[in-house]
Amino acid sequence: MGMGNKLAMNQYAPAIPRASTKPRLQALALTAIAVLCALATPMLRAPVFAGATDPAGPNPVTLGEKIFADPSLSASGAMACSTCHDPGHAHAQSNDLAVQLGGANLDVPGFRAVPSLRYLSLTPGFSFDADGTPTGGFNRDGRAKDLLVQALRPLFAAHEMGNATPADLVARLARTPYADEFRQVFDQNIFDDEQGTVLAVTFGLAQYQKFDPDFRPFDSKYDSFLAGKLRFEPAELRGVALFNRADKGNCAACHPSGRGPDYAPPMFTDFTYDNLGVPRNAEIPATADPDYRDMGLCGPDRTDLTDVTDREDLCGAFKVPTLRNVATRKVFFHNGRFKSLRDALRFYVRRDTNPEEFYPVDANGVVQKFNDLPPALHGNVNTAEVPYDRKPGEAPRLTEAELDDLEAFLNTLSDGYQPAP
Amino acid sequence: MPDAIPSLPPTTARRCRLRRFPLALTIAATLASPVAWADEAALKAEIAELRTQVAEMKAQMKELAAQNKAAPTSVAAAPAAITTTPSPPPAQAALAARVDRLEQTVSTQAEASSATTLFGYGEIAVNRPTHTPNQTQADLARAVLGWAHRFDDRTRMAVELEVEHAVASAADKGEVEIEQFYVERQFTDRVGGRAGLMLVPIGLLNEHHEPTQYYSVYRNLVETAIIPTTWREGGLALYGGTESGLHWNVGLTTGFNLANWDPSSSEGRESPLGSIHQELSQASAHDWSGYVSLNYDGVPGWQLGGTVFTGKAGQGTPDFPAAKARVTLWEAHARWQPGPFDFAALYARGTISDTEALNLTFIGQPTPVPKLFYGGYVQAAWRNSWAFKDYSLTPFTRYEWINTAAAYPPVPQGLGVAMTPTEQVWTTGADFLVSPSIVFKTNYQHYKVDSSKNSFQVGFGLNF
Repeated sequence: MGMGNKLAMNQYAPAIPRASTKPRLQALALTAIAVLCALATPMLRAPVFAGATDPAGPNPVTLGEKIFADPSLSASGAMACSTCHDPGHAHAQSNDLAVQLGGANLDVPGFRAVPSLRYLSLTPGFSFDADGTPTGGFNRDGRAKDLLVQALRPLFAAHEMGNATPADLVARLARTPYADEFRQVFDQNIFDDEQGTVLAVTFGLAQYQKFDPDFRPFDSKYDSFLAGKLRFEPAELRGVALFNRADKGNCAACHPSGRGPDYAPPMFTDFTYDNLGVPRNAEIPATADPDYRDMGLCGPDRTDLTDVTDREDLCGAFKVPTLRNVATRKVFFHNGRFKSLRDALRFYVRRDTNPEEFYPVDANGVVQKFNDLPPALHGNVNTAEVPYDRKPGEAPRLTEAELDDLEAFLNTLSDGYQPAP
Repeated sequence: MPDAIPSLPPTTARRCRLRRFPLALTIAATLASPVAWADEAALKAEIAELRTQVAEMKAQMKELAAQNKAAPTSVAAAPAAITTTPSPPPAQAALAARVDRLEQTVSTQAEASSATTLFGYGEIAVNRPTHTPNQTQADLARAVLGWAHRFDDRTRMAVELEVEHAVASAADKGEVEIEQFYVERQFTDRVGGRAGLMLVPIGLLNEHHEPTQYYSVYRNLVETAIIPTTWREGGLALYGGTESGLHWNVGLTTGFNLANWDPSSSEGRESPLGSIHQELSQASAHDWSGYVSLNYDGVPGWQLGGTVFTGKAGQGTPDFPAAKARVTLWEAHARWQPGPFDFAALYARGTISDTEALNLTFIGQPTPVPKLFYGGYVQAAWRNSWAFKDYSLTPFTRYEWINTAAAYPPVPQGLGVAMTPTEQVWTTGADFLVSPSIVFKTNYQHYKVDSSKNSFQVGFGLNF
């Protein structure tokens, strides 16, 4: 949650190193094909919007809700979007696995922890600022340009819902109880067009995320506090102070806690990317391959920036997530390395004062800091800004007592706050 | 507001203090109206001539009065003449005819002049911090172009278009802004009204902020940080004056929007009201403000005045914990100009009420909302201490004390921000005028608390 290392342009960096991608080639190829096919089917765009004008009847939003919760659309018949993005857990995972298991037999492990879908529709598209800072985008590496593309990948990913082809998805959709509604909303003959159907499915999922208030309720205790409707407890007040103070947690530097333009409620993310040097997580099966490294913006999942040979500084950076509902999360960071909020917070403030608590120590007693990045890229890790600007032997920016207060504050960011009667 | 579009006639008319009031008004209107600047050089010469003639008339009237007083017998010898309208003596008749011709001349000139005129001003400044000379900066601080249009003898409008910092684009810091946009009408000889985007009549600088109107390279700190010069609001104003020299101005205007306060920025610390003013740019107008301004200049060489501005600043923002917050700013000023000397003093004090709950949401941020801020200055200048032809030199010195966050609403122990001491600043330098409208300036600024701001400054400005 510290200040993001606003990735600056590096004109003299060597080519971006590539990691092993074999385990995911099939899923990536299918995803790319599906995206291209869907985007290249303009003939179906008119009927896609045809049924959306009748709010009383079936519409893309109601269909998106049904699709979101329908496990029959997966190869296993047991995995829906909501399986991993559980509405009861702030649209994130309900278990503490670092990565989920998917595919036809629910035995193919994924590569990253499940992100929450709450407030995701308010994310801007991916872009580089004037100074070269990457901003916005969907997925942890920002490679999905919008909600449609974001919704597409899990339908076909081998480690998620596992549809092998668009035809598989269409066939499963045609068997659902809401197939007639789907035809009514989009087109009576829509199932004759596989790519058009895929586009309609992702459109419905995107509309559902955009317009269903469950995805952005803004009803946390902190929201009530901002509105002046309640007073924080002393520990919560101390916590918000530590969160905001540039010389303590400095969390607000990347996770702004104040209202935005037009008095918009805070999103607790500035939508930028940061490289925290999160330890390698052996719970992810892919890490058994020593050559496997997940480096966020520069691959292996994201491939469009790997041709940008002068942006090696992007390697290892992941999107700054919203901290709304952070206290409800079961695992933390892109690789699910930590399983409790306190452990994640402790990593922020003790990573540089006590690295041995988080990284392995080699035979010579040397701490293998930033062990999920090639040594040549260790310089990309944010080590300059508070609270990372410490050295072994120095005091962490926050004490354990202060972490208690900070955690008390972060607990106020959970949706669905009900004041005590 | 530049001299080119001064306030309506009462002020100038009173200063002329002519007994022939219609003539006075006409001359004053000529002096004040934008039409007078259509051909500035020619008209200035004409006006000078008119003034000379008026002075001559006064002398002749005085002479006539003395003659009449010295010959009382002529009245006794002709009692009928007292009970009937007397025929004017030949000298008086000649004077009256001359006055009529003058009035006609002025009227003809006014009609012949263009109804639309241009005016403008600008300034360039170089700031060299003495402790960090590598941060020396040169800046075309502002260039302003304005135009005024006279619809009829009593109705006019004016617009000022300003570019700050030379270049305004997405990648630059400059701004393009409309600083004034109003229409005004003289309802009676003593009362006028104005509507639109207009400068708040407060302090010595806000309405008269052209570079030739103040002595230092940069405007004084108090009338920048406490009074957010150039401060304008949209609304209605009614103003007027009395023959004794009292001027009044009341207005109903848009106000501040506290929902725009950014606790993570230093802007609120630099200028509390400057960070939440709206400048009539899609301004939230749920809560309106009002002001009352009084000035007195009935004693030659003296100007005394003050203004109170107040209004709620919540602007009806939903879920805003400071919905009842009120901004109040008042100031008092005095200026005394005996001979070549120019002494001025001003004190301004602002408050923002009912922000305790809002400030709790800003805990840990560097810039909560202050409940009190103030500042004042005293200034002395020796105008034309050296002069040669059009050139003149005016040394000056100014002492300011200022605190943009003198007090905060209470917060739980240990969670507030550190209070800052009142800053004290000396500014000493000289203005060198190469004409009444072009000035080169230089001065040194010394900060008592934050000496890192000490700096040497040079600049020049002009207005037309």
